[in-house]
Amino acid sequence: MSKRKVAITGIGLVTPLGNDTQSTWEGVVAGRSGVGPTQSFDASGFSTTISSEVKGYDAADFGASKKSLKFASRGAGFALGAAAQALEDAGVRPEASNAERWGLCVGAGMNSVTYDDLSRIHEHCTDDRGDLVPDGFLSPDFPGNPVDFSRVQCNAGLGILAKEYGIKGYSTSVHTACASGGQAIGTALKVMRRGTCDYILAGGFDSMINPMGISGFCLLGALSTDNDNPTGASRPFDATRNGFVLGEGAGFLVLEDFEKAEARGAHIYAELAGDGNSLSCYRITDSPPDGDGPIQAIHQALADAGVQPSDIDYVNAHGTSTKMNDESECAALTAVMGSHIDTVRVSSTKSSMGHLIAAAGAVEAVVCALGIEHGTAPVSANYKNVDPLCQVNVVKDQSVQMPINAALSNSLGFGGSNSSLVLKSPNFA
Amino acid sequence: MIERKDNIVVTGSGIVCGAGASVDSVWSTIESGQTAVADYEQWDPENWPVKKACEVKESNRDLVPERKLHKSISRTDMYGIYAGERAIEQSGMVQYRDELPEDEQPGYNDRSGIIVGSGGGDLRSNYDYLPLMQEVDRDLPAFGQNLNGMVTPMWLLRNLPNNVLCHVGIRAQLKGTNACITNQIAGGILSISEAAEAIWYGEADRVVAIGHDCLFEPESVFFYHKLGLVSDDTPRPFDQSRSGMVFGEGAGAVVLEKAADAEARGAEVLGQILGHGCVTEATGITEIGDSGDGVERAVRQALENANITPDQIGMICTHGNGTPASDRTEALALQRVFGDSMPPTTSMKWAYGHLIGAAGIADVVMTLEALRRKVVPGIGTLSQIDPDFASLPVSSEHQQPHSDTALIISRGFGGMNVALVVKA
Repeated sequence: MSKRKVAITGIGLVTPLGNDTQSTWEGVVAGRSGVGPTQSFDASGFSTTISSEVKGYDAADFGASKKSLKFASRGAGFALGAAAQALEDAGVRPEASNAERWGLCVGAGMNSVTYDDLSRIHEHCTDDRGDLVPDGFLSPDFPGNPVDFSRVQCNAGLGILAKEYGIKGYSTSVHTACASGGQAIGTALKVMRRGTCDYILAGGFDSMINPMGISGFCLLGALSTDNDNPTGASRPFDATRNGFVLGEGAGFLVLEDFEKAEARGAHIYAELAGDGNSLSCYRITDSPPDGDGPIQAIHQALADAGVQPSDIDYVNAHGTSTKMNDESECAALTAVMGSHIDTVRVSSTKSSMGHLIAAAGAVEAVVCALGIEHGTAPVSANYKNVDPLCQVNVVKDQSVQMPINAALSNSLGFGGSNSSLVLKSPNFA
Repeated sequence: MIERKDNIVVTGSGIVCGAGASVDSVWSTIESGQTAVADYEQWDPENWPVKKACEVKESNRDLVPERKLHKSISRTDMYGIYAGERAIEQSGMVQYRDELPEDEQPGYNDRSGIIVGSGGGDLRSNYDYLPLMQEVDRDLPAFGQNLNGMVTPMWLLRNLPNNVLCHVGIRAQLKGTNACITNQIAGGILSISEAAEAIWYGEADRVVAIGHDCLFEPESVFFYHKLGLVSDDTPRPFDQSRSGMVFGEGAGAVVLEKAADAEARGAEVLGQILGHGCVTEATGITEIGDSGDGVERAVRQALENANITPDQIGMICTHGNGTPASDRTEALALQRVFGDSMPPTTSMKWAYGHLIGAAGIADVVMTLEALRRKVVPGIGTLSQIDPDFASLPVSSEHQQPHSDTALIISRGFGGMNVALVVKA
């Protein structure tokens, strides 16, 4: 059975490097850092005071309706901007006649109560030890607004996007932590191949740069504490790396049938050619040092795309800048690529934009599509000291102009989910 | 017509909810006609406008005996792990793997997948931060400074929406394809659709599908009540006097594999997955459309996907959550699809409440049991059917399925509508 060929015809980005595709891509290529002291709240008391924030963003600039904005969390607001760009870019959008043939696959961040919401609960619903007093919710003073509650439902972003654009076909929301965005796009590819949809809006969005999100990561000790060196804090593969930098944002793609896209004269960035998924079954926070887990995901993605390891010119690594992730991922790449590991260029764009968690895989798939489009392997910023356990051909110092026939994008999540995507040049030969 | 090379069968199932922690015990509740919904005990309902729920009675230790794991998971994860492991146990898939030659075991694990529909977490965990807020009087810098020591370092890990995926995966070494679907109510039943597709597509040879949720806690009850979704009455799907859903909690799980594999290893077959449909009505987060268009499209898609016609469906397990709008639109949509020849129809939520993210998969587990027993359970709380859809073939009495094939429907926030077709 031949697999349906699926084209990427629209892309959109909202990231710490810029509020649209163009400015983000320029930042990625320049290796500019989006990291700085956290501005959106007073982070001075936390062990990590830096983050990679989206700056000066307003979803209304992208035409989002007032009603959607009212219900949108910060992360869903990013989704509205990135999705609007992707649809505009593709030049197709759901119409009454084809809305049922449009699908929506999103990787959404974890439910996250806001500090303000929790403060209200604390004010009205606790005793003098801070233990919950349920009857407090019933107090006439408790400002219980159902909009606040709706906003944090696990598929709220999905509901908002479907309504905003009038998408009525297969719709789903996934969350496998840092692999969410990659899995959402992989799911979309499978749904396209099943023939359930003719078009899919697929992507990921997240924002955990708030007191509750930062608290969770600080408690875990996963974030870099290089508060005095924000722009150098995210340094994937570098021997001195010491944790990731939290980012936020969204990336979206429009997928459609390759032949039909060609027929309508659409601009095709790349073919979304392969998806691979595995579970490391090792620890919640890591995959094993020998790369078991990611190895299977990469193998499957290559096989699904019908390519050999030697066909891959560029790898956009998960590369979080934590000790264990980078070590495990490099071991996996080395195992899969064999002798090609010396040739294939590898970078982690988390070096410049930080870790966008549930949005990361989607944003990085877009970066791969742009890399193919522009013939550019983006730089892995801040890479100076070689780690003997990360012996891959890192794109160092500056971005490299080179034809990219096929690219691999990895996303490895807490919980052990590994997602790999293969994108091919539309002229792949 | 879709051509598929493999038939996919169910070789294990598991359930935990307020009506019991096994398929047999939940079935006895349903068959008895007595709902397990009662005044809740998690907190004092006296002043609350809603006093009823269907709470899981089993303790954490009953569900997950390994105490060490309790530090790194929340209550909803316990439900998922429990149901998942009952399904795995019944399927015998791990035991079968362990008897394979050692060099074949890694390959078997790589071809074993897991797909979980997760409610997205446990809101109660947010309350873990309240004593700290009290201590620092909501001063944010002081909150940051005093985190360590006042909140468990495991907080984030305990609340990962994909914990069940991770822990059931580790325990059974399910190293193949996986996904955690956080599509609110739709997630539970979608886990089965996606598990079946993963096998049809060739990504895996067997997949464990689990749905779990534990939304029943004060804040959710307060807001669901404000949204007009939850009732203080016993749930009465399709009844003239129905006034809303009642919270349940729990999990359901199934193991799917290729029919040929199940036969070759002599596994007992509980049923077959024939097809599925999934659409949204694009109505926003909590609204539903007034025509039932989503139900109709999801059902037609599922029938087409299963390659069968409406007259082959012998029983329908509706979403039937007991809210005025959802039941009405669902009934009207089904009447449009099935016309005058609608098969015996029921809803399970009157017996065990609304399991939210676990609702659809729990309904699938119990519908397979109903087909096996050739009984369409009555809706025990139904006394007067709504005249708006008086001919809907629902009853407070048990009925007989017209065939060995059933349709199950699940609806959720986001305008989601999912339908699944199964066969005994």
